[in-house]
Amino acid sequence: MDIFTSIRVASSALQANSIRLNTISSNLANIETTSTPEGGPYKRKSVYFQTTPLSFQEQLNANLRNGVQGVKVTEILEDTEPPKLVFKPDHPDANEEGYVAMPNINLLEEMVDMMNTTRAYESNTTTIKSAKKMALKALEIGR
Amino acid sequence: MNTTPIASPGLPLAMPQSIGGETSQAREGFGEILLNTLNQVQQAELRGDRAIQKLHTGEARNLHEVMIATEEADMALRMLVQMRNKALEAYNEIMRLQV
Repeated sequence: MDIFTSIRVASSALQANSIRLNTISSNLANIETTSTPEGGPYKRKSVYFQTTPLSFQEQLNANLRNGVQGVKVTEILEDTEPPKLVFKPDHPDANEEGYVAMPNINLLEEMVDMMNTTRAYESNTTTIKSAKKMALKALEIGR
Repeated sequence: MNTTPIASPGLPLAMPQSIGGETSQAREGFGEILLNTLNQVQQAELRGDRAIQKLHTGEARNLHEVMIATEEADMALRMLVQMRNKALEAYNEIMRLQV
């Protein structure tokens, strides 16, 4: 049933966006974390999206009709930017000169990212809703 | 929720076996199609049930997948109801034939 394809595509996007929100919440929670098990301050994480075929059948359809593909998070990347150095001599993680390496996370950036994620999630639920509406309209033909 | 699978009764709706020349090709009558659809709807509902159960036991991590499973079951059921309405309509139409 083709109407379910769009639902499944939107579902993959919902999944991807919830993972994205998870990474954002992790970034926000660790905005001032100066020590991690790997050593050094927390590094900002960002998701990496990639298109994905849903199943063999849908891959076939995609090739035939040139189109539908879901999305999935293939990797969660760590930021490579150097940490911010803040002068805090009494901090336990301070170096000899008294500087502490703080994670390079911009609160505003994260908030904007979060808004984007929320909107993306919303738009995909709207896709699901309209797919359902269309299916129900098709059923109304018989009435 | 417990649902038992639908047993296949001797369906009264089975089509007459052979009409004209083609015998083996179109043997699947409306009754069988209806039964198949019924089973598919049953499967969809079971999937929805399982999804809800998984959500309640904490096994399912994605709320949207549960919602989608239940929506699919809902749509399948609506489709089935429409088919049933159509079949009943046709039956009534025939019953109203003047003899």
